[in-house]
Amino acid sequence: MSKHVYLRAYMAGITVPSAVMVLALTMFCVVRLGFQYPLPIERALVFPMALVPNLWGLWNMLYVVVRRRRQVPIGLFGALVPLIIAPIGLAVLRALALDIPRFVLAAFPVGLAVIVGGYYLIWKYAVGFFNRLLEIA
Amino acid sequence: MNESDERVQELVRRAIGPMADPELKRDLWPRMRARLETPPVRVPWWDWALAGAVVLCLIVFPAAIPAVLYQL
Repeated sequence: MSKHVYLRAYMAGITVPSAVMVLALTMFCVVRLGFQYPLPIERALVFPMALVPNLWGLWNMLYVVVRRRRQVPIGLFGALVPLIIAPIGLAVLRALALDIPRFVLAAFPVGLAVIVGGYYLIWKYAVGFFNRLLEIA
Repeated sequence: MNESDERVQELVRRAIGPMADPELKRDLWPRMRARLETPPVRVPWWDWALAGAVVLCLIVFPAAIPAVLYQL
């Protein structure tokens, strides 16, 4: 199975965020529509819905390219993604003039650490599993 | 098997036609054996510790959950 390696890498990369997106959308419906939370979350949804899964797919394609030249642990490679995604996410929020609640801003450093740690684990085990399944690893 | 069954078989055979190349192009057993011999994934203790720390952080700082969901 040596054909379309980059396409398979892209598909392996987008699987996890696409699955999590359903969960996030459910939470959005509960919070916004169920509890009538007065924050226009739907304006910011374009980022996790459209950009994040594509970034994961592209990052996994990049991983395939990088791994041909040197051995890089997939967990550490995936842990770098938030360092790219977080500034883009903040820029999207600013561009959409969406006010971030203060309690979320206050928890941002902790959130970033959690995201980096979580990404390390998700990339190491989940994306690594899909890469092995699609015979990329 | 009566005459009608044979007729149906003949019609099906004629409609589908013979398979062009019924043989496999390669031996699949070595790949199957390699997959069977692959050791199961072992999670080292530091990954368990990291997962625990992530969960603990989310419990202690629930305000970080929206930021985490936003990045996924």
